[in-house]
Amino acid sequence: MLVISCIKQVPDTTQVRIDPVTNTLIREGIPFIINPYDSHALEESLRLKDRYGMRTVALSMGPPNTVATLKKAYAIGVDEAILLSDRCFGGADTLATSKVLSAAIERLDKQEKVGIVFCGKQTIDGDTAQVGPGIASRLGFSQLTLVDRIESIDFLRKRIKVRRKLEGRHEIVEAPLPVMITVVRELNRPRYPTVPMRIESEEKEIKVWDNSVLKLDAETVGLKGSPTWVSKIFSPERDQGEIIGDGINDPAGTANLLIDKLLSKDLLAV
Amino acid sequence: MKTLLIGEYREGKLLESTYELLSFAAQLNADTAMLLVGSESQLPAYAGTLYLADIATCGEYNPDLHKKLILDAVQKENPDCIVFLHSSYGWDLAPRVAAALKAAQISEVIANLDGGFEVGCCNAKMRRTVKSTTARTVITIQAGAFPVLQPGGSPAVQKLTADSSGNLEFIGYEPAEKKDVDLAKAEVIVTAGRGIGKKDNVPVIQALARALGGELGASRPVVDAGWVEHSHQVGTTGQTVSPKLYIACGVSGAIQHLAGMKKSDFIIAINKDKDAPIGEVADVLVVADVMQFVPALTAKVAK
Repeated sequence: MLVISCIKQVPDTTQVRIDPVTNTLIREGIPFIINPYDSHALEESLRLKDRYGMRTVALSMGPPNTVATLKKAYAIGVDEAILLSDRCFGGADTLATSKVLSAAIERLDKQEKVGIVFCGKQTIDGDTAQVGPGIASRLGFSQLTLVDRIESIDFLRKRIKVRRKLEGRHEIVEAPLPVMITVVRELNRPRYPTVPMRIESEEKEIKVWDNSVLKLDAETVGLKGSPTWVSKIFSPERDQGEIIGDGINDPAGTANLLIDKLLSKDLLAV
Repeated sequence: MKTLLIGEYREGKLLESTYELLSFAAQLNADTAMLLVGSESQLPAYAGTLYLADIATCGEYNPDLHKKLILDAVQKENPDCIVFLHSSYGWDLAPRVAAALKAAQISEVIANLDGGFEVGCCNAKMRRTVKSTTARTVITIQAGAFPVLQPGGSPAVQKLTADSSGNLEFIGYEPAEKKDVDLAKAEVIVTAGRGIGKKDNVPVIQALARALGGELGASRPVVDAGWVEHSHQVGTTGQTVSPKLYIACGVSGAIQHLAGMKKSDFIIAINKDKDAPIGEVADVLVVADVMQFVPALTAKVAK
C-alpha cells in the first residue's frame, strides 16, 4: 500500500521583503523551503514506512527548480519523488492544483493501491487550506483535516482512526481507507537528513511528469482552469502607532519615555 | 447579491462569531439567510430566514450530513455566496460544499473590496484581492476581521432534516491537554518574535515579562523554530489574548498573530522596522534593536 505526501516549495515568508517603490514582493535572493506544514506530512509518511513498510512517494507541483525541494525529500528517506511540472500547470489556483495532484495520484494508484495521502494543513504563502480537501473530493477519498495524531490503522478492515485538533478540544474520528489527511504541526517532529543520505540524494533521479504524461485538458489546469483570480496584490496601508523616542541611538532614554507613558496609563502597577 | 451564512455552535453554545457573518453580509448590502445546526432554545438575535437543523440528531459536526443540509438550503435560497467562519468547522466543511457546488472558494477573507475579497498572504506582509468566476462562491471569513453585528429580533425558522450517511464515524471529543500557561488570564504579556534573533535570547524577553509580572508569549515562527513551547503561542493557531498590556518584541505581525492579540487594551511594539505590520495595531512603537532595548527597559522597570 502506497502512502503519498504532497509537498509545496514556498518562499521563506519570514524573509520576504516588499519593494517600497513597486509595492510588490522582492523574490530575488529569498530562499525556498518546504512549506513547513508539508514537512510534517512528509515525516508522517516516513513513520508509516518505518512502522508498516509502506512505500512512500513525495509529489510536488511546481516550476523546474522544485527539484531542490524534492531532493530534500529523498535525503530524509522517501522511496520516490515526482515533480509535476508543465508550462500549462502554471498560475494555478487551489482547484487547478488539486486537479493535477489528483491525476498524478490516480496514475500511481494504477501501479499500487494508494492508502493514505498526506498534505500540510495549509501553505504559508497562500493560506487557503483547500488543496488537500480538493484532492479528497476529486478522488472520493475520506477527508480528515487538522489531524494531530494517528491513533491506529486497521489494514484488514481498511480503516484509520485519528485525532483532530479543534478549538480547545480534540475529536476522535474513524474513516475508511483510502484517506486524505491534512496535518498540523503537533503531529510529529520532522527528522533531519543524515550526511550520507544527503549525499546519496544528490544522485537520485527526480521523475518529472508533464502534461504529456498526465494528459489533462489544458483548459482545465493552470491559470485557465482556475475559477479564482488575483486581481491585485499589494502591501496594506496602515495607521501607525505613535513612535516614541529614538530606540536605536538612545535605548536608555527611550526606555524612560516608555515607562513614563506606561505610568501615565496606569499600566505599570498592574 | 444574496448570501447564505453558516452559523456555528460549539460545545452546545451559539458562537458569538456567528454575528460576524452578519456584518460581513451587511457590508456587501446582501440579502441574507442563515443556516444553523443548533437548537431552538438558543437562536441568534436576527430577524431573517433561519434554516435550523436539530443538533441533537445531526450532531455538532457530521461533515456529510451538514453538507447535505447546506446543499438543501442552497437549492431553496439560490445564494451567490455561502459564507463560513474560518474555524475548524468551516475549514473542514467549506471545501466539501465548494466541491459539491463546483464553486470557487476563497479562504480567510478579511475585507470586502469592490467586487473582490481581500485576503492576507505571505505572513500578512501582503494582501491579495481575489475574485471568483463561478456562479456561486464559497467564502470563509477570518475570526475577528468583521465586527460582531447583533441586529436583534427573532428569526423565521424553517426546519431542515437530512438522512445521515457518509463514511466518517465520530468516536468522541477529548479535552485539549492542559496548558501550562494560561495566556488568556494574563494581564501582561510580553511576546518574543523572530526579531529576537536566536533561541538564546528568549530569557531576555522572559526577564521583561517577569519584571512586569506577566507571561511570556511567542509568535508562530518562534514556536516553529522550537525556541518557545507551543503553549505560549499567540494567534489564531495559538491562543487569543486580550491583556491590559501587550508588548511585542521583534514581532512583525502576521495576520494570524494580529487576530490573536489586537483586542489587548494597550499594545507596545518594539521592532527595528518601523513599517512592520504590527505597527497597525500598536498604540506605541519603539523603533529599536530588540536585544539592545529590552534589557534597558527591563533594568528600568525593575527599579
